[in-house]
Amino acid sequence: MASILFLVIATIGLATALGTVLSRNLVRAGLYLVAFFFAVACLFVLLEAEFLAAIQVLVYIGAVAILLMFGIMLTRDTMGDDTTAIPVGWMVPGLFGGLCVFAVLVVGINNSIAPSGWSPWEGTSSRPSIVKEEAEPGWVAERREAVNDMGRVIGVELMTRYVVPFEVAGLLLTAALVGAIALAHREDPDPKPPRSANRAAGPGAGDGPSTEAEEPVASSVSS
Amino acid sequence: MNNDIPLNWFLYFAAASFAIGLVGVLLRRNAIAVLMAIEIILNAANVNLVAFWRYGTPAPGSGPLPGVILAILVITVAAAEVAVGIGLILLCYRRWRVADVDRYDTMSG
Repeated sequence: MASILFLVIATIGLATALGTVLSRNLVRAGLYLVAFFFAVACLFVLLEAEFLAAIQVLVYIGAVAILLMFGIMLTRDTMGDDTTAIPVGWMVPGLFGGLCVFAVLVVGINNSIAPSGWSPWEGTSSRPSIVKEEAEPGWVAERREAVNDMGRVIGVELMTRYVVPFEVAGLLLTAALVGAIALAHREDPDPKPPRSANRAAGPGAGDGPSTEAEEPVASSVSS
Repeated sequence: MNNDIPLNWFLYFAAASFAIGLVGVLLRRNAIAVLMAIEIILNAANVNLVAFWRYGTPAPGSGPLPGVILAILVITVAAAEVAVGIGLILLCYRRWRVADVDRYDTMSG
């Protein structure tokens, strides 16, 4: 039952991915991309990561796809849709390269070598149970709690074990926000006079606080 | 209930979508289409992460959901990347009036 569901979802996902890559109309490609994101969210549900599926829908479909749509609308080529066509001469080498990468990945999937002491994952089809059982190892209970209560466990983990990656991600988002605004900001052709007057007055105003700030440091060092 | 999907199927799906995304990066000339193909590649990586988290045995001391946290971080980075990428593309579009990565050849000798 679930395998049929998986096959349907995977077929839709791969078809929409191909549509994204090959469709000539960029708006249509963006809509195919939304369908692909949704198929991936369905796969997350099949993997019992419903919270991640919700994040996928919110962030990818709600934000990234809309942002890409804005980009498409703002950069419509004035000389026609010439640039969105795939050149015929590139088709064969590109598809050949993609097929080669896919073949290498399939060989890697089929010839997995497990680290010593671990069972190889090739052909694994059973998951750790999320229903309570007798005599289970400790990590299965931990995993079960995480699956059944994923939002809370993710919050706790982000605040305890992964607090440094969490802060780094926040810093990255802030930097991306500032960078995107700085990139897309349109400079004024001629700066206004009041601003330059302010800038000229800036160093003189900045001197006072800096000298004041140095004094307590010096006194603390001396004491 | 649904313990009958082999792990390999998820890996095949991820490999196939990665290859499709790579073909998109190689073939498309429109910068926004290249960005879309990069998103497909990142999603394929996410499917792999979550599949290994769900099926595998965790390393001792790695916590209850390492793969999911890593997938969330990947989603964060992808969102930041799209924001900056769109800003860059708009900047280049304003300067050269094209959104075609072939024409951005100012720095090629």
